[in-house]
Amino acid sequence: MQLKLFVLSASSVVLWLAPLATLDKTLDIHKALQGVSLTAAFACAVTAGNIARKLSEQGEIEEIKTRAITADVVDEIATSAYISQVQRQQEAEQILTASDRTDEQEAELDEIKQSLELLIQKTSSDSGELVLKTLTTRQQEQIELILQCHAKGISGKNKILKEVWGVSAGSSQAYRNAKAEYEYLMPFTKEEEEGG
Amino acid sequence: MMRAMYLANYFIAGCIAFSLLGWVASLHPYAFRAVLCLLAVIAIGWGLSWLLDFSLSKLLKISVADLQALLIGSFAMLLIGLGVFLCS
Repeated sequence: MQLKLFVLSASSVVLWLAPLATLDKTLDIHKALQGVSLTAAFACAVTAGNIARKLSEQGEIEEIKTRAITADVVDEIATSAYISQVQRQQEAEQILTASDRTDEQEAELDEIKQSLELLIQKTSSDSGELVLKTLTTRQQEQIELILQCHAKGISGKNKILKEVWGVSAGSSQAYRNAKAEYEYLMPFTKEEEEGG
Repeated sequence: MMRAMYLANYFIAGCIAFSLLGWVASLHPYAFRAVLCLLAVIAIGWGLSWLLDFSLSKLLKISVADLQALLIGSFAMLLIGLGVFLCS
């Protein structure tokens, strides 16, 4: 199409200028040749102009298409960027919410730990009182007997075991139990002596 | 590029048209007078177009600048077309 356009343009110029400049004016057909060549040149120029106008319009349409495609691509990129930004924002919000939940859970866990510690302390103190009460109830007489032995001047372990528990020194199970019980009661005995 | 090509081709076509008018005028004295009358009409129309450029641009639905460019181009076509014919 473009070749046809260039050929028609060139031929129109040639047909316009060549007969006017180069034809022999003494010929009888000079005027006729001029007329024919000018008419042909006019037709060639108009045809070439029409072709060039069509091509120009097609070029403009292609340019509009290219602009539209570019605008679509830019719009699509912008949309995808916006969507990804929104997704990232949602993910960040989810992460923040999860961290808040974790903080709440940690706070609850701390509260539970503190409660457990308080409960354990209270339980241990209660058990200590219970032990004292048990000692007082069960072995008060033995402590008093030990204190009486101390008052009498009996200070040897075996003698006290003989006086209070009635067991002699040896390797019997009764002696071992009595010895363990005596060693267990010794701190209370000292407290009683210091307190009394 | 193509826009320039089609404008140039139409410009050349206009030049050739005025050369053709000159050729017609050279055929016979009556044809010469007729062409003179035609050229006079064209000149009157050209001058009126300059005077009524705003109204004419609205009528033709083109801008005033385009209309003025068209008028100047047509005058250049006349000069070049008749000049080429007369100088040959």
